[in-house]
Amino acid sequence: QGSLDMKEVYLSISLKEASLPEVFSEIKSKTDFSFIYDKKVFNKTRAVNIKANGQSLESILVDLAKAHGLRFKQVDDKISVRLVEEKESPPIIIADVTVTGTVVDSEGNPIPGVTVSVPGTSIGTATDLDGKYSLTVPEESTLIYSFIGFESQEREVGDQSIINITLEEDMSSLDEVVVIGFGTQKRVNVTGAISTVDMDQLENAPVTNSSQLLQGVQGVYVNQAGGQPGRDGATIRIRGQGTLNNNNALVLVNGIEFPLSEVNPNDIESISVLKDAASAAIYGSRAANGVILVTTKSGSKDKFQLRYNMYAGFQKVNYLPDVIKDPVQFMELRNQAMINGGRLIVDYPQTMIDEYREGMKTDPYTYPNNDWFDIMFNAAPIQEHNLQFSGGSENLTYSLSLGYLNQEGVMMGSGSDRYSLAFNSTAQISKRLKIGTNINAIYRNIDEPVAGVQNLMGSILKAQAFHPTYLEDGRYANTFVRSTGHNIFRHPIVLATEGENQTTQQRYLINLFAEYELPFDITYKVNIGVNKSDDFNTTFVPDIFIYQNKTDAATRVPFNGDAMSVSQQNRGTRKTYTGNINTTVFNTLNWSHDFNETHHINSLLGISSESFSNNVFWGQNEGFLGNDLYELNAGSSNPAVSSTSASSRLNSYFGRIGYNFKEKYLFEANFRYDGSSRFAKDSRWGLFPSFSAGWRLDRENFLANIPWISDLKLRASWGRLGIERIGLFRYLNLINLGQDYAFGTNISAGAAVTSYNDPNITWETTTISNVGVDAGFFENRVGLEVDIFKKRTTDILRAVNLPSQVGNLNGPIQNIGTVDNTGFELGLNYRNNFNDFNYQINGSVTRIINEVIDLKGQTIYNGRNIITEGQSIDSYYLIHAIGIFQSQEEIDNSPFQTADTKPGYLKYQDTNEDGFITEDDRIISGSVIPEYTYQFSLNLGYKGFEVNAFFQGVANINTYASLIAAQPFWFGTAVTKEWTTDAWTPENTDARLPILTTFESSVNENFRPSDFWLRDASYLRMKNLQIGYNIPSVFTSKYGVSNLKVYLNGQNLLTFSKMKDFDPEKNINGVNFYEYPTVKMYTAGLNVTF
Amino acid sequence: CSEDVLEINPTDQYSIDTFWETEEHANAGLTGCYQVLRSTFGSLFETDMVTPNAWGYNENGGLGPLARGVQLTTDPALAGKWNVSYSGIGRANTFLNNIDDVNMNEDLKKRMIGEAKFLRALYYFQLINYFGDVPLILETPDAELHSDLPRDPKVLVVTQILKDLEEASNVLPIIYEDKDTGRATKGAAISLKSRLLLYEENWPAAAEAAKEVIDLNVYSLFPNYRELFMIENENNEEVIFNVEFLAPRFTNNYDQSIYILNTPAPLKDLVDSYLMIDGLSIQESPLYDSSMPYENRDPRLHQSIACIGYPFNGKITELSDVVNTGFGMKKFTSFSDEISNIVPPNTELNPIVMRYAETLLTYAEAQNEAVGPDQSVYDALNLLRSRTSVNMPEVQSGLSKEEMRELIRLERRIELAFEGLYYSDIRRWRTAEVVNNGPIYNYEGNVITNRTFNKDRDYLWPVPFVQIQENPELTQNPGYN
Repeated sequence: QGSLDMKEVYLSISLKEASLPEVFSEIKSKTDFSFIYDKKVFNKTRAVNIKANGQSLESILVDLAKAHGLRFKQVDDKISVRLVEEKESPPIIIADVTVTGTVVDSEGNPIPGVTVSVPGTSIGTATDLDGKYSLTVPEESTLIYSFIGFESQEREVGDQSIINITLEEDMSSLDEVVVIGFGTQKRVNVTGAISTVDMDQLENAPVTNSSQLLQGVQGVYVNQAGGQPGRDGATIRIRGQGTLNNNNALVLVNGIEFPLSEVNPNDIESISVLKDAASAAIYGSRAANGVILVTTKSGSKDKFQLRYNMYAGFQKVNYLPDVIKDPVQFMELRNQAMINGGRLIVDYPQTMIDEYREGMKTDPYTYPNNDWFDIMFNAAPIQEHNLQFSGGSENLTYSLSLGYLNQEGVMMGSGSDRYSLAFNSTAQISKRLKIGTNINAIYRNIDEPVAGVQNLMGSILKAQAFHPTYLEDGRYANTFVRSTGHNIFRHPIVLATEGENQTTQQRYLINLFAEYELPFDITYKVNIGVNKSDDFNTTFVPDIFIYQNKTDAATRVPFNGDAMSVSQQNRGTRKTYTGNINTTVFNTLNWSHDFNETHHINSLLGISSESFSNNVFWGQNEGFLGNDLYELNAGSSNPAVSSTSASSRLNSYFGRIGYNFKEKYLFEANFRYDGSSRFAKDSRWGLFPSFSAGWRLDRENFLANIPWISDLKLRASWGRLGIERIGLFRYLNLINLGQDYAFGTNISAGAAVTSYNDPNITWETTTISNVGVDAGFFENRVGLEVDIFKKRTTDILRAVNLPSQVGNLNGPIQNIGTVDNTGFELGLNYRNNFNDFNYQINGSVTRIINEVIDLKGQTIYNGRNIITEGQSIDSYYLIHAIGIFQSQEEIDNSPFQTADTKPGYLKYQDTNEDGFITEDDRIISGSVIPEYTYQFSLNLGYKGFEVNAFFQGVANINTYASLIAAQPFWFGTAVTKEWTTDAWTPENTDARLPILTTFESSVNENFRPSDFWLRDASYLRMKNLQIGYNIPSVFTSKYGVSNLKVYLNGQNLLTFSKMKDFDPEKNINGVNFYEYPTVKMYTAGLNVTF
Repeated sequence: CSEDVLEINPTDQYSIDTFWETEEHANAGLTGCYQVLRSTFGSLFETDMVTPNAWGYNENGGLGPLARGVQLTTDPALAGKWNVSYSGIGRANTFLNNIDDVNMNEDLKKRMIGEAKFLRALYYFQLINYFGDVPLILETPDAELHSDLPRDPKVLVVTQILKDLEEASNVLPIIYEDKDTGRATKGAAISLKSRLLLYEENWPAAAEAAKEVIDLNVYSLFPNYRELFMIENENNEEVIFNVEFLAPRFTNNYDQSIYILNTPAPLKDLVDSYLMIDGLSIQESPLYDSSMPYENRDPRLHQSIACIGYPFNGKITELSDVVNTGFGMKKFTSFSDEISNIVPPNTELNPIVMRYAETLLTYAEAQNEAVGPDQSVYDALNLLRSRTSVNMPEVQSGLSKEEMRELIRLERRIELAFEGLYYSDIRRWRTAEVVNNGPIYNYEGNVITNRTFNKDRDYLWPVPFVQIQENPELTQNPGYN
């Protein structure tokens, strides 16, 4: 069934001074076409002259259209006519045609479910089970045939009515290139364990810190503790915790060491995570914790693009403890806790409680009932804008982007702004010479409470409902209720809003490179990088008074905490400058050559030199006249200054040789030879080699006939890495200055040895063996990636404790032992579609067993944690609670704790059966390292709609709950509601918690370190949920917009965990149970590309 | 050449190889030995909270549990004492081991050696006082040599302390120029010796040493007992040795702890032990009126303790000011009675480690034990009672040795309240098992809580658990296993 074609119909016609309807009826009489038009409109057009002699109908109509501003549209044998509106594109003729056809694969098998669509419209269909389709489209349109696992094809419809398509299998995923050390490599030829971050998936998540981008990468554990604006960098662990020292991965941005958190996530083009030794060995002595390679966005040669991304929304506190907020109930409970703990008189007399209860009814200033969580935590706005210009020509590409992030904190008094700039450009100067530059810069402003967020968090948790905010006249108020133990009211509003604690951070990464092609396929490359950071902090401690709500007596609010002046409590200013400048120069020679398309050799030799230097300077002054001026110049007394500096250097030689046979058998070897100033002369240099091999089974003939295997590769690697990151000069025995003392009014400079050092220390060596499989099945609709690895760190460096009798010195850092991280990673993904509905599921799980293998028989104790052979690093080592004492008789018949033990108190296990509960009864109780980390994501798409959800979880990890609010009435402060329902009483003997006591009254009984307070911090969290819509380009193209997407995003919306009283995604080893809370974030945004 | 660029030296620290060459180095090394004093004697008064003198509300670092008799071997406050004492010992040993090779004025060098020996003795004295036997180490700290040394018998350490003090007192000056205020003097060395001998119950020698201090004729009682402890009178004629603080760099938080937190809070037992102005106890004296219990008392009561209804810090003290027990400390605050100071800044008050009044009491106690209550014993006590601001009646004559012993012990408790000595006194008198066993009372006579004292265990502190963990050669004190 074909339609009539105006090009194929020829006719002769001659009319003068006719009306258009006359013309149309004349044509109708001579052809099979009829016209549809509005007579009222076209009768007015009279002066039509037409003369045709055997021309095609089409050309006749085109002439008519041009002469009279008409537009014709053919549908089968009907032609509609209308007048061209103003500004409309020149009149043309569009025909709707119906296209049919069959889609097959390269072997002629029909492919069902192939999407056939016209880009920029909603016109589309999918092939049936026989691969057949039928679609009516405007003439001259373009059809796109797409199906997962196959390369999409575009076809001009033209005048065709039957279009049969053969789709080629999608080789693009095979051609995908990943960034590796000092180069790139085709993913299919990678023999090491490398993961990449799917930047597309993260495109619209409100990622405020680039470290959060690594969430979801197989084998990587990302712990995002706290949502403080400007200080929300996540902890990243690649394949567990291999060292007792710095476990942070080496991060290189465009080849230069630079902190990940200092790059705007929007400027990142790709991130590669090098997990095994084969991939990382080229970075030698710093690579044992893994290497993260970040490449920033650059322009492309042929198109100019302007992109604008923005989102805005708000954040809400995710978790806060469920504390008792009623003032009367608090006082009564505290009295009860005191009595339970052995006190015979209580702090809150009944008269006071009665007075308070009555007073609350009438006088909210003296008898407030404040909810300090409500006062101090509020929904906080966030917005981010990014603008990128990019483009290029044959010889020059460039990209310039600007970013702005404004984030207020959910905690009063915290907030941050970030401005960023990135510029990348490369120029092909001549056929052989290419030069380029990458510049990344960040300017960040962080506002924090003077005393620091930790201190404010503590003060908020300490504040009770009876602590007032303001007096009636607006002055800050103090309570008349004496809260023994916490008698100094650190007014949270004062701490949050008064004074100044502002940090400005500037970071620059400037990188210049040149590449020159020498003869014989040799390329020389030189790269010079400067990584500069400047931090400037101003802290001003003001004099602020609070006035008691009964007596009006004034008290000065102490601002002691993280940031304070030297004399700690005087009004004063301190300005601190911290600067780092690190330089890197590396030179590489690269030679790669193909022999007969069979033998491919790729080799690299390089030399690099890096220097790191750090400067700190501060000055301070006191004696200010008020709280308004606080420059150092405005102060008059007790000026003080200080400065210090440090530097280190790393010189290296490195190389790589890779060989593959027909891309079937792959081999690679790397080496690095590093010399570090951090070690003494004789132990300064270290050699780090690696070897790897791969076998692409899918290229073997015996697998070629198995249709469901699309991709199969085995790979194995072995290599050695080092860790040099210990404190500077730990090989020298040093005399510390600053041990000063005053004789009368003279300060005398003092000096002393404060730590003991070992001159023989050298590298930790990490040896990683890795075996992996990469596979794709069913046209790569199913993907599988498995890695099994063993990471052994020997000569592990650790500060060894000395008994204090050796001058009470900090122990030396020594090479003391061996730790293994053994584990596997399993990643699976599945993608498919159902007509227009496509979906993708990705998931991965990593299991790591951390075990201390050898400590030369030593045991290292570190508070509640232990490092001992056969256990994981820093395992909890605690006495074991086995229940609650029910009676004095039971106490008398049990191993002795202390003279204070009472019914309702915790009962501990006498592990060594000596009749006493002592530290010798401790047992291994839990781990600070998660055994399992897992993640999965779901992506659904229907036409322009997308829904993405990302989940992350950890399992088998513990955290210890101590201090404020975790233990009841800690120093007279908060108590959680569970103590009113779940605590032991003579009536409720089957309780979960022991009897309610104040922390201090049973500090050596219920609250001595025991596994009772250990929490299971496993969780599964929906980190991100996004709903997006790509607005069809038919609506946007007339505005010059090629792509417009709008979306809604939610972060941390759901959490599943046994831990209810605080966010399990916290600083696991933190001293405080509570820290700056994580947030739920709700944002809406759009992406526009011009 | 790449080797040279990898050779980087610290910019603000000396290497041990380049130190100990000049007089400046020696001076700095000795100053480092003094610096530890701010930690060891940072809160001189804290141990009074483990006696019937005072109570600490929130002292959960170790002293609170210790007062209740429920201390653990892990309590940080107890471990801290061990650790910081060895800091001072290690530094003094390093100084003494290296000073010989320093090229400097020989007289000055001798004096400095004397100072270091005094400090080493002071730190060791702290250790044996609380822990009994401790490892005696006299060389520069060396992990190889010293890590696994066991505890040495206390008597050995006592002998070494006496030797150090003897050698120190032979070279130390009696007084210093102003610029050296606060350094160890001959008087300090002999005073410490007398204290040690008293604790060791070597009565004749203790009395002799105390007499030696008295005969130096450089110390006398400061006329005003209240003002003796004030910042403006630091280093007065009564002070033998103190710890030097200097604002803004070196400050302490006594004002905040004592005044705002009411810790330590004096107990009724102490307040009741102050005599009436007629020299009789409240039980005996006709002057005592239980409705006005703080009237007509030994003036040192109101000079040491804030009582409800009496002025302190520019206001009349109310219960809410002294909420823990109904009493507050005045000693060691920077507040006067009359003038209100609403800002509690960190103060630079120097805590007095040894003063002349203690010397007189040491003499009286040792002499009474050695030869009985002779006139010199009365003279020493009457000198204290006749201090201008105290002006208590003279000690009643004709007391037996036992009566005199009780009188001296009471006088010592009153005169030296909160100065960190009473806890040692009740342990050496073996009275702690009585006075620290049972209820403690607030100002109204209500029981606050109960204390226990295990006489088989609590006279010594536990060797910190971590120390035994790190050096299994260390044995634990009895009762702590």
